[in-house]
Amino acid sequence: MALAETSELQAPAAATEERRWRALRVLLRKKIAVVAMVLIATFYFCGIFAPLISPYGPNEAPPLSSAPAGGLLEGPTADHWFGTDNLGRDLLSRVFYAARTTILFTLAVVLSGSLFLGLGLGLLAGYRGGWIDTVVMRVGEVLAGIPTLILMLAITAAFHTRITDFAFSLADNTPLSVNDARAIVQFTVLVGATVPFSWIGGCRIVRSQALAIREAAFVEAAECMGAGTWRILTRHILPGVLPLFFVGVTAGMAGIALAEVSLSFLGLGIDPPAASFGTLIHDGAGPYVLQNNPHLLLAPAIPVVVFFLAWNLLGDALVDLLEPRSTRAR
Amino acid sequence: MGAGLLGYTIRRLLWAIPVLFAVSIIVFYLLRLAPSDPVDAILGRNYYTEEQAQRLREKYGYDEPIHIQYIKYMKNLFQGDPGLSVKHRDFDLTEYLLPKIWVSTQLNFWALLITFTVGIPVGIYAAMARGTFVDPLTIGSWLTLDAIPTFVLAPIVQWLFILKFGIFGLTYEGVYSANMLLPILVTALPGVAGVARLMRASVIGVLGEDYVRTARAKGLRQSTIVFTHITRNALLPMVTVIGLSLPGITAGSLFVENAFGIPGIGPTAFEAAITPDYDVMLALVLFGSVLFVLANVVVDVVYGFIDPRVRVGRARG
Repeated sequence: MALAETSELQAPAAATEERRWRALRVLLRKKIAVVAMVLIATFYFCGIFAPLISPYGPNEAPPLSSAPAGGLLEGPTADHWFGTDNLGRDLLSRVFYAARTTILFTLAVVLSGSLFLGLGLGLLAGYRGGWIDTVVMRVGEVLAGIPTLILMLAITAAFHTRITDFAFSLADNTPLSVNDARAIVQFTVLVGATVPFSWIGGCRIVRSQALAIREAAFVEAAECMGAGTWRILTRHILPGVLPLFFVGVTAGMAGIALAEVSLSFLGLGIDPPAASFGTLIHDGAGPYVLQNNPHLLLAPAIPVVVFFLAWNLLGDALVDLLEPRSTRAR
Repeated sequence: MGAGLLGYTIRRLLWAIPVLFAVSIIVFYLLRLAPSDPVDAILGRNYYTEEQAQRLREKYGYDEPIHIQYIKYMKNLFQGDPGLSVKHRDFDLTEYLLPKIWVSTQLNFWALLITFTVGIPVGIYAAMARGTFVDPLTIGSWLTLDAIPTFVLAPIVQWLFILKFGIFGLTYEGVYSANMLLPILVTALPGVAGVARLMRASVIGVLGEDYVRTARAKGLRQSTIVFTHITRNALLPMVTVIGLSLPGITAGSLFVENAFGIPGIGPTAFEAAITPDYDVMLALVLFGSVLFVLANVVVDVVYGFIDPRVRVGRARG
């Protein structure tokens, strides 16, 4: 990979600090990156503060007896900006809560998969080498060789049939309600099915970077002065690895979020009444539904697409930042 | 093909064997560790006595320890018997899966062909236009298409081209019918962004080379420089991308196949997953893994063929 040849890695700490701020300034000068960051921030704001800004509860619906002749399904109105679903629930509120699901899911996968496994194992494998390196990279190779989607289908489906049993036993033994317990169990299964496949890419990037930095003079100097593995990893190698790692995480964000949305769409992820973009889109996905009630598809689909696009554009801008050659004119 | 390359190929192939075994063990254990049971699928969940269930488990060998089941499965597999589907017991599993694999393979082959024939020129175009607004605009619009999940894109194009304009029909009438154009395009076009981005980076890498400057200095026409000097060299790294996207040929279109009612691997895998149909899942996962590992080996070997440095470096390390 051409990215691995970034020469800025051997900079002393003070210059790296300054360079980081310069990177942010350059990033802010790129209009696309700024727009992407604003969109992402908006999405996160809506998700995090969903209970405060939602006009209705995620499962609040008028009683069926009060339904007009045409049913409770409604297009966008002044009361319901995104319209309502078949049960009369406010779609705007459900989209906010679905954003919450996406945020929690990506956070859980990035923390446990990308940060803990990807960064941690990549650093260890790259710096220590030897059998650790062999084991980590071979395991990665095996996992990468499995058709991810089919296996995720297998895992989630296998657990899905008995999730209700788990949820009831969890609800009996804890103060949680059955619906909350269900959502928590499903969420755990989903994260567990995604994490094994989410760390490999980041781990490879980190490892190749760590391999390169390991040879630098300042690492050798630190080793001579008796610094331990932990200190060398955190103080000397980590700073050089982080920029590319963050680019990798940024570029992979949409993919991670898509895993949850896809599985929920297939009915193997988060089930209603908990809100997920997958189930919301499922309710509106079909040419006839789209013809008659376009808001059922568009209300959840547009925020998701914007979210994915924003992360991808930000990832693109960051790559350009590390590889300035690619945007400069001839 | 020299002796070195042959040895290298054999080494790579030998290394693929333990990888495939590891994949099969992981998948086998994962499927059987899960708290659901194929007996549910055969008898209908909650509609059987424990005695009936036990008799069936004994019949199919599900009551044995997992490692015994695994050894039996592998033994049968090497004798050409991939097990049986509990849901479609009237069919031989190979007989049941092969037509579906073939449908998916054709669908994805045409889709990949379109992805690359569109993506490569788009990448070159964007690279030549870099520094202007045309470059981010081109890549950005393909990225937008890429950001739309297939299961959102499919109903939109179905509504637009089938219901509104009435150009195509909604039914599946075989792989080579007009109705297949939509599913092929829905599979192909989102991938263009990825190919175009890589091609763009590759072209930009080549642009800085001395031979391009020499070609300019010689006063060659721009088209000659772009096609013979830049494109030909920039295409080399694409070997990996093309090679590694080939295994996706069988598994990449679950949502498209579901949305358009195409009897390929996607709906089959989905049905097998929720049943759960152990042997069908295993067969599909192993098939996909074999393709992936083979594609990796082929890419490595092709590289060794194109660029001898790879071969020497690996042999030493």
